[in-house]
Amino acid sequence: MNQKQRLLKDIGIVSFIIVELTLFLDTHPEDCKALEYYRHYNNIKQQLMKEFSQKYYPLTLDYVDCDKEWTWGMAPNPWEGVC
Amino acid sequence: MWNYEKRLQFPVNIKEPNAKLAQVIISQYGGPDGEMGASMRYLSQRYSIPYREVAGVLTDIGTEELAHLEMVATIVHQLTRNLSMEEIERSGLANYYVDHTVGVWPQAAGGVPFNACEFQVKGDIITDLHEDMAAEQKARSTYDNILRLIKDPDVCEPIKFLRAREIVHYQRFGEALRMTQDRLNAKNFYAFNPGFDMNEKC
Amino acid sequence: MEDKTKYSMVGKNIDQYPIAMAYVPWQEFGKIYEDLEKAYSYGTIFQELNKPFVGRRCVS
Repeated sequence: MNQKQRLLKDIGIVSFIIVELTLFLDTHPEDCKALEYYRHYNNIKQQLMKEFSQKYYPLTLDYVDCDKEWTWGMAPNPWEGVC
Repeated sequence: MWNYEKRLQFPVNIKEPNAKLAQVIISQYGGPDGEMGASMRYLSQRYSIPYREVAGVLTDIGTEELAHLEMVATIVHQLTRNLSMEEIERSGLANYYVDHTVGVWPQAAGGVPFNACEFQVKGDIITDLHEDMAAEQKARSTYDNILRLIKDPDVCEPIKFLRAREIVHYQRFGEALRMTQDRLNAKNFYAFNPGFDMNEKC
Repeated sequence: MEDKTKYSMVGKNIDQYPIAMAYVPWQEFGKIYEDLEKAYSYGTIFQELNKPFVGRRCVS
């Protein structure tokens, strides 16, 4: 696994943790432990997303930096796979 | 509204095409208990839910199901790309191929096209949550059936992930039902529809 | 912050709950997998929600 794949995998893992916590918090809105975990992983995700968009391409429109060209359309589509 | 992240919720990298398997897995795309039905069901039901927190559960799970829809479509796409005409004929994919080539079109494995009869929006919170709990179990059972047919670990891994999500969603809908019960009179949960009636005589 | 995950009827025996209704037990924020990469492959971070399928059809 190269650096880019590793970073993408880490984004996948952290994003998944956030989804799990989101659903848990939807039915346990005042659970302190869950809220703490959520804050922690949300910060990590934002850092990883920024790093990925600076090194490779934007994963969401929020991270598009189009000084020279429209990078959003150049990003590979998720269904292409690595193979 | 929706934002898009250009990645799958869980990776799908299938090295070996398999047209026979694709014809079965497509049921989780456009079939009666598939992800399209799930996402449309939850995202449609949420409008008539009287309790904000429960509507929130429907929005968030409905959104995750859209991500699953994308994963299933990706699995079907990767299982059918680079097929030879001989493989298409041999696998029984010819009937689908003639109308869709190797595009991904929402239908059940048996050929029934996706349609809104695959889900219900009753407009009654207790009824809709029971429908949702049943939907998650039906989806899980369908993934069980698919897992019995799979030998390729590239396909197994994302399918096992999707199946596990159904169990988690079942738990959340169950909790949403508990939240609903807490807001109603335990002596008679069915006295009125909290999204439609007033509980006093007019 | 006050932990208000308890709702009414918790603590009562399930058979004392009103009949003609379904009840799913509340999940507490229990054990999370330490290896989060493994949790990702399982499809849940919560150990008690990991219920894998091991069925295989055997026809005698």
